[in-house]
Amino acid sequence: MSILYDEGQQAIATESRRALEARVNKDELLPLLQTSGQYHDGFWTTAKEQGWTALALPEAYGGLDLGLVELGLIAHQAGRSLSGAPFLTSSFGAAKAIELYGSDEQRARWLPGLASGETIGAIAFVSGPDALPAVPPVTSKAGQVAGTAPGVSGGLFADVAIVFAQEGGTPALAIVDLAGIERKAVDSFDNSRCIADLLFAGAPGEALVTGDAARAAALHILALQAVVTAHEQTGGAEALMEIARDYALTRKAFGQPIGAFQSIKHRIAELYGLVELARANAIHAAAREGQNDFIPAAAAARLSATEAYDTAARDCVQIHGGIGVTWEIGLHLHMRRARTLALEQGSSFFWEDILVDRLAGAHA
Amino acid sequence: MTDLEAYRTQAAAWCESMVPTFGKAARKWLSVEEDLALGRRYQKAKFDAGYAGINWPTDLGGQGLGHIEKITFEGEEMKHGFPNVYFGISLGMPVPVLMQFGSDREFVKERVLKALKGEEIWCQLFSEPSGGTDLAGLRTRAETDGNGWKINGQKVWTSWAQYSDYGVIVVRTDPTVAKHKGLTYFWVDMKAPGVTVRPIKLAGGDSHVNEVFFDDVKVSDDHRMSPVGGGFAVAIATLMIERYVATDSAGFGPHLDLFVELAKEVRLNGRPAIEDGRIRQQIARNHAMRAGLDSINRRARLMMQAGMTPGPEGSLNKLVAVRSRQKLSELALDLQGTDAFAFDEHASPKDDWASSWINAPTGRIAGGSDETLLNTIAERILGLPQDHRPDKGVPFNQIPA
Repeated sequence: MSILYDEGQQAIATESRRALEARVNKDELLPLLQTSGQYHDGFWTTAKEQGWTALALPEAYGGLDLGLVELGLIAHQAGRSLSGAPFLTSSFGAAKAIELYGSDEQRARWLPGLASGETIGAIAFVSGPDALPAVPPVTSKAGQVAGTAPGVSGGLFADVAIVFAQEGGTPALAIVDLAGIERKAVDSFDNSRCIADLLFAGAPGEALVTGDAARAAALHILALQAVVTAHEQTGGAEALMEIARDYALTRKAFGQPIGAFQSIKHRIAELYGLVELARANAIHAAAREGQNDFIPAAAAARLSATEAYDTAARDCVQIHGGIGVTWEIGLHLHMRRARTLALEQGSSFFWEDILVDRLAGAHA
Repeated sequence: MTDLEAYRTQAAAWCESMVPTFGKAARKWLSVEEDLALGRRYQKAKFDAGYAGINWPTDLGGQGLGHIEKITFEGEEMKHGFPNVYFGISLGMPVPVLMQFGSDREFVKERVLKALKGEEIWCQLFSEPSGGTDLAGLRTRAETDGNGWKINGQKVWTSWAQYSDYGVIVVRTDPTVAKHKGLTYFWVDMKAPGVTVRPIKLAGGDSHVNEVFFDDVKVSDDHRMSPVGGGFAVAIATLMIERYVATDSAGFGPHLDLFVELAKEVRLNGRPAIEDGRIRQQIARNHAMRAGLDSINRRARLMMQAGMTPGPEGSLNKLVAVRSRQKLSELALDLQGTDAFAFDEHASPKDDWASSWINAPTGRIAGGSDETLLNTIAERILGLPQDHRPDKGVPFNQIPA
């Protein structure tokens, strides 16, 4: 896969940007912060209507057979406009797990709904600071799962979850039908993520992969999601860089635009550097799907995207001064989202370790 | 295999075949003069093999190929530490600008050929004690003298001036107009009477840069390469010529795998340093940064191959890479502790951490300081305003010194 976008890919970027800018705005996103358990309906409806949910899934199950590069382009635009729901990434991760590790029966049951967006998927791997815990809090035994999967993004509305569990002392990747499952909403600093603790008490769960292969499979799914998220983070960082630039051009102090002061213009130029490095790594990683260097490429993309988005959030607010910290201007939407995306799919610590283990030859 | 891949394979094989004669081992104990002599032989070998002036016109001795072939060759060449550094400036800027603006075409052709064969070296006399970044603030002056001109003043940071046969120079010919309207561009004979070259020893111990003094140096008007008062535009054109050069995400310092090797050898608190979180974080961060630059550069090459103009993000290379090389080099010395004290002044910055560290500041200043590059990104790419410039529009001789 080339790292130069072709015309079709460029059209996906243009069209998704147009659709999102028409449907999502901060005035609708702000109230969602103060309610638990609501996502931005316009965003998710747009995603379904535009076929983004189907984009990277196989044609046989209602998908469009495109890949990570195209989904990344959508995610980039979603990051610019702020995704109104986490499902684009979470459903993609769940669908890929079912596509890659499920049976024909499981694929037929779940993939068409995930492709149309009528079914929502979630990934429940993480436990606190551990992206892939050595001892997962959920146990799987004789077709049933028990225990609590904490902090699952999209968990409030998901119909199906891929759970990293333990089965007789070894890891297992299980698919769990979430119908009738007890969910405890997490009132978070970014409520449209619809985060929930999933409380399993003997729910039916079918193991997709067990043993060491389960850990490798879970890491692969995390990496796929991390590349999508890296695009989203890059989009958010890019939007913030532009907002900061535009503000620095219009706001005047001491008789000139504040963007004429080097303390401001250099800060924005540094953001440009972070955004371009993140973009380059994200594009590269998306193009490496299916190659043996995919995991380290995903890790690099994840690390630079997290750094870019967090830094852009910090600096964009700083450049705005007082107005930047008001509720109404909404820069905190990006601040919150930057942190949310930094924590979903494993923190920087996790990806640093994944990367260094490979560079140092521990996993050669 | 594409044509370009075939070109790369051939270039790689040629470079490989040059290693016994011109590689690091062959250069190890040479004095600078011996190394320069070896460098001239290497440059001649490149010319004979068709790797000199790769993207220059064939009627001037070049190969008539594109930027992409040039940087493809350079990417292979830089792996081996050949003695090509003496010709980098010469063939990078002064000689191309001579090709573009030199009026006497026979003279131009002769010079270009000799430069391509390593027989002659050109330097670029731009920076002055009073103006590096502020190029148009230069004070060296040329006054009319009969039918020609007489140059007086001082240049500084002139790379390889001590070995140069010719140079291109920007001088002030009219101090009564705004600063960049009073400049004119010439070429000069570096062996002419009145030219004095004095090498400057740098912090790392080497002396590739010089001060150059001009005392009543006479040049005829056919040395002039711009209209009188039109020198600034040619100076800017000179700086734009080398936009497409092979880059190195290691900032021309050691590659990250050398750091990883070091971290595996060294023990910290009784454990291999590679297991230490602080070290791991630096490795991961540096890798991500360098991988980003590599991807930017790969994309730029693909765009060139497709006949497109690469994006402006290529301007990040030097800014990001050299800065991080400096910090990583400090960290590598930290890792070695007192074992790092032993210092070899002649070691290569590309595989020796102390050499990389002590020479890193030069990389962050020469060819556009970090601050200048940030200004360029802010102004040219992002459209932010220029800095406040109190000397704007003021006649040069009325600007407070």
